[in-house]
Amino acid sequence: MTAGVPSLKKFVLYTFLWLPPCSAAWYFSAQYHTAAAGELARVLVNQFTNGIVSTVERSGLDLVFVTTIRVRHESGQTALLTPEVNPLVYTYGLALFLALMLAERAKWWKILVGAAVLLPFQSWSIAFEVLAQCMQLGTDVSAQAGVSGWRLLAVDVGYQLGTFIFPSLLPVVLWAVFSRLFSESVLRSQVRDTQTTPPDPSGY
Amino acid sequence: MARFFILFVVILALLFAVELTPPVQSAIVVPWTQALVRISARLITLFDPHVAVFGDILQSTANGFALSVRAGCNGVEATLILSAAMLAFPTSWKRRVIGILAGVTVVQLLNIVRVISLFYLGQWNMKAFDWAHFYLWPALIMLDVLIVWMIWIRSLPRAPSATGPPAGSGDAGAQQATVS
Repeated sequence: MTAGVPSLKKFVLYTFLWLPPCSAAWYFSAQYHTAAAGELARVLVNQFTNGIVSTVERSGLDLVFVTTIRVRHESGQTALLTPEVNPLVYTYGLALFLALMLAERAKWWKILVGAAVLLPFQSWSIAFEVLAQCMQLGTDVSAQAGVSGWRLLAVDVGYQLGTFIFPSLLPVVLWAVFSRLFSESVLRSQVRDTQTTPPDPSGY
Repeated sequence: MARFFILFVVILALLFAVELTPPVQSAIVVPWTQALVRISARLITLFDPHVAVFGDILQSTANGFALSVRAGCNGVEATLILSAAMLAFPTSWKRRVIGILAGVTVVQLLNIVRVISLFYLGQWNMKAFDWAHFYLWPALIMLDVLIVWMIWIRSLPRAPSATGPPAGSGDAGAQQATVS
């Protein structure tokens, strides 16, 4: 038994206790960490397209991506397309990650590294929502963005990953990578299991 | 451990790819989502008669507030993540199947609580609804998946280990180690 590793019950209890303050910290610092995620998302969108985003502005906590794409309004006027994204939808995992790490009294550098690793995935989610918003407007917009063929499919897959998988799953996966509780649970189970089942030829 | 993570990612990708196909959507995901709404409505009617169901929409007949259960809110993604984690873990198929059935039941029960809570939060305050819908409940559901999975791997049959402490002593040690 490794000293300092909490029991599962205490870990769960501490996680629930840490979640409210971590959520508050995440929310009240949102303008800073979402700005970083937004800037990185701008780079991702521009790499994926032919550089359609000229700047990222703010509307409250929302990020407004000002693009060079021109769309025609019903009135006959032409306007620049400005997809707007609520970045908090994709960054709430930061609060969950902090709560999990603090519940296990993880070292501060692990928390910092984990938060830094989460950032590009949050940017991925934001970038693909911007792209999805653009692409659903039709072939004229996708042609202006230089997105066609496999890239259209990639936008769909990237959006699904960024919406349904990354925001909630990655904080837990990162915690698992850093966690001694997780490692200990897995190793103990594997030791037990090899005693009760024939050896796995796959090498576990 | 690295092998577990790789297998987990591969299985999860496969499950998601299958889930997104139109036949699976129409045969499983959409019917399940509508069943989830009906089950939630049935439970709500135990204490509140002002509820109606239209496909994947749950509506209050008292004030007109309506809630549409969509992808991401039907618990399917959480179910797939839990299943992938259990399938990737090296144990017998019997234990995997039992774990998946029990785990999916727990996750979906919590998801019903989510739907019902959102139904009332939305009628009370839209800011509270948005906060719970977008930030709080997704985190809680994933936490639920993690807890269920951790309980499952810790509940795998114990046997005397040649390399570790006797069964049970680890838990006792864990309890002592966390007293602060």
